Amino acid sequence: MARFNLGADDLVENPTPRVPVSLCLDTSTSMSGSPIEELVRGVNLFYDAIDEDDDAHDSAEINIVEFNSAAGLVHDFASIERLQRISSLTADGMTAMGPGVNLALDTLEKRKATYSGSGVLYYQPWLVLMTDGAPTDNIDHAVKRVVDLVGAKKLTVFPIGIGSHADMAQLARFSPHRPPLRLDGLKFKEFFEWLSKSVARVSRSTPGDTVRLDLEGLAGWAEL
Amino acid sequence: MSNATNHQLLDPVDFLQPDRRLFIDTNIFMDTDTRRAGGLKRLFERGQDAIVANRNPIVVPTKVVRELEKQSKLDPAAESPERGAAIKKAAAALTFLDSAARVDLVRKDLGDDTNPYADDLFLRLFERFASTYEMCLLTHDITLKLRIRLLAHRLSKRLVVGVLTKDGDLEVDSDAALFERGHRKYVRHAAHVADGSGNFKDESEVATLKPLLDDFQKAFGLAQPNLAVQRRVAKTSTSRRKTSPAAASKPFSATPRIKPRDSALPFTSVPARGDEVSWTSATKSGSFRLGALLGEGGEGSVYEGGRNTVVKIFDKDHITQHRKEKIELLVGRGLVVEGMCIPSAVVRNNAGEFVGYVMPKARGHEFQRAIFNKRKFEKEFPNWKKSDLVDVCISFLEKVQYLHSMNVILGDINPKNLMVDQKKNVFIIDADSWQVEGYPCPVGTPMFTSPSMLGKSYAEDLRTIEDDLFAIATMLFMIVMTGQFPYIRTGTDGDMVQLIKEGKFAFQISIRGKEYNDRNQPDGDWKYMWSHIHKPLKDLFWDTFHNEGRHYQKRPTATDWLQAFKAYKAYLSNAKVNFDPMSNEIRPIRSKAFRPDTPIVDCPQCGRNHAIAGIWHDDTQDYYVPSRCNKCRDIAPVRTAPARAVIVQCKDCSTSIAKDRAKYGRCPACAKKDDERQARSKTIDPSRKCTRCQQPFITYGNVEWHQREGKPVPTTHKAGYGGTYPAGCVPPSNPARGTTGKTSTSTINKTAKKKKKKGLWARLFGG
Repeated sequence: MARFNLGADDLVENPTPRVPVSLCLDTSTSMSGSPIEELVRGVNLFYDAIDEDDDAHDSAEINIVEFNSAAGLVHDFASIERLQRISSLTADGMTAMGPGVNLALDTLEKRKATYSGSGVLYYQPWLVLMTDGAPTDNIDHAVKRVVDLVGAKKLTVFPIGIGSHADMAQLARFSPHRPPLRLDGLKFKEFFEWLSKSVARVSRSTPGDTVRLDLEGLAGWAEL
Repeated sequence: MSNATNHQLLDPVDFLQPDRRLFIDTNIFMDTDTRRAGGLKRLFERGQDAIVANRNPIVVPTKVVRELEKQSKLDPAAESPERGAAIKKAAAALTFLDSAARVDLVRKDLGDDTNPYADDLFLRLFERFASTYEMCLLTHDITLKLRIRLLAHRLSKRLVVGVLTKDGDLEVDSDAALFERGHRKYVRHAAHVADGSGNFKDESEVATLKPLLDDFQKAFGLAQPNLAVQRRVAKTSTSRRKTSPAAASKPFSATPRIKPRDSALPFTSVPARGDEVSWTSATKSGSFRLGALLGEGGEGSVYEGGRNTVVKIFDKDHITQHRKEKIELLVGRGLVVEGMCIPSAVVRNNAGEFVGYVMPKARGHEFQRAIFNKRKFEKEFPNWKKSDLVDVCISFLEKVQYLHSMNVILGDINPKNLMVDQKKNVFIIDADSWQVEGYPCPVGTPMFTSPSMLGKSYAEDLRTIEDDLFAIATMLFMIVMTGQFPYIRTGTDGDMVQLIKEGKFAFQISIRGKEYNDRNQPDGDWKYMWSHIHKPLKDLFWDTFHNEGRHYQKRPTATDWLQAFKAYKAYLSNAKVNFDPMSNEIRPIRSKAFRPDTPIVDCPQCGRNHAIAGIWHDDTQDYYVPSRCNKCRDIAPVRTAPARAVIVQCKDCSTSIAKDRAKYGRCPACAKKDDERQARSKTIDPSRKCTRCQQPFITYGNVEWHQREGKPVPTTHKAGYGGTYPAGCVPPSNPARGTTGKTSTSTINKTAKKKKKKGLWARLFGG
């Protein structure tokens, strides 16, 4: 089967600049039950929306990093055409946010290196960090990396708190310019709809352009 | 017109002497003007003796003969009486040329089949042979006459252009008369363009004649032609228009000052679907209701207008002074040109406030979605070949050429402002962002922004034509390369601005004898696509984009590009020069075949046509034909676990490392050491000196090789056949030293140097 090499082929054969998006998701015990189910539904809806959007379809590349007692890669970056919808995530363990964010940043760096190595244009990546609690480890290093990247305009970060127990103060450390957002109830659907529209908007711009995010569109699902 | 100061009469027989040449263009054979009737016959009667004696037949290039053949096939009855007569003349001329060629009065085997444009052929011929022959061309084409006259002036050679009188004399316009004719021709075409009846011939004549006449006027120090003539001609052809046609065809200012900063205009309401609005064109006005909403953009919304028009209504943030004035300016000119969505009427709301404009409807799809995206391209234009993309470039360039001749700077050229339909017609939209008369183009797209404009403010700086030409070059490259960006290369951090500024064009080329094998050329099939592009166009791209290129600072104009793309088109359609059938493919999967005799075969594995070309081997002086195509080769080694890193051992220190970190089988540390070793091996060992000339002569690497092989290390420069040493290897001129057999090299060296120096001084001062 020639499947794997085909993957490398369409990486370079498609001249559309890419937007790598890393979803860094909390799958600790507290997420079990309806939060994790809603999250999975929201992610799949996000995939569908990207798939259907004319521009985002060829631009967006998404991966998922989960963190509980440790960090792990749910799936690596791929174009939407090769992405399988996720069937479930298991919520179990602590909230190792530091390793989670570090792994997400590592995968983004690696993906950028792949683009760079094969001659593919790209937009600076996006990191979506979602948690319903507080980190159970030291996040200083991860925070520094994120803040440095954001400062150098090499990363756009969206820290999202899920429900009332999310530690917004810790999340705020990741986002020097924009306060983190707290999900209104379990409105993952609305958030991911907004996210897909924003990715589409970026993929319609040219790399290097400053893209104005439609923050007004966030009003429906978030309370600050 | 026919007084003596306007032209002179020459004897055409002069141009039948040895070292001179006489050429005839198509239109002379098809001339139906009774005042010149019989002129051609007289020419041959007068010239035949000289032709035979000097073996110097009159030249009628193949291209001209082809054109006559084409014309003679038309039905004279279906045309106007005048055209009909001309068509009959073409047929008669062919019969005559056949018999004249048989007796060597005419040569019609000269020409260049690859160039479909006879005008260019004459110009190139005259330029090439100006130093060899004095030449004369008989033609009625004023543009061609102007170009050749200018060429003669530039080269200071005798190149004559004229027509025949009925006595067979050569009638040559004076510089001033020719200039005036040229100017009238320009005004005629410009008026057609201005009143909307113009076609591409008009546009391209306008674009060619304008700079040509400027150059001509300067070269010959001529005054502006009589304006009365200009107005008379213009008026007759555009009498329907209220606006002065002369003003309409006149370009906008070439050197405007930037207007004061833009400011918002007051307004009471922004109309939407179903609202009544009023419109005012250059000649009429009226009102109507806005139709269906067709789309929303960054500046406003577009509604259905009339049958072939749409209406753009600006949103609240974009109803500004500049937009209003610029649109009134464009509407006032009444410019109607096919393929350009130029504002044709100003639109006001019910309070009489400016809110938008009417423009012609564009057809087709945005470049972004139709050409630059593989998936959508294959859906929209599944049968297109490379030549179709070349047609798209030509269609785009013809429009740009016209706009630039009017001193319009397009500004925000990007793949969303250009559309293309199934017939390869290009439409330029977003005319309200154009830069005219000092109103800046307030928007831009980084990918198409010239290095000098990067970092400036689009809305607060005027762009130059060079800025536009950068965007045009980028757009052309991206059309031919199906969306790939010219400055794409490996090893970037995705910073577009940086890529443009550094000017590293990574596609490999051999140009003017120099190889540019940039290792950052992007992966994938792009290199194959690049390899198949017509070489002159590749050179032009390289010269434009590479920071060492000839046109990196002064970029090719739309006219320059048009010429290159027309040549590309001719090349693709000519199997004699374009010997590789894959060159007309949109996405070639291999490099262009080396030579016409290179074997090209289908892939036996996947069956792709022409998928394999032989690879030339210098040592065997033969072609090696691979057994399968690149695609089959790439997918052959099936890997079951591609994600797992392969571990290898460094061949120097045996450390285990991931294979993708290894360099030629070495770990990074050993690879570095190896690089240093390689560099040292190429360095000359200063301690070893040639025993003949006392100069260092051997590299460390060479010494090591001899030691490794157990061979004696050489002590002198290498002697060639017959014991000849290199030119620089001269023994010190001191025969006395010859006897000192066993002195150590270092001593010899010291003395030799001293002696040599003394010898030199002695020679210089006669000591």
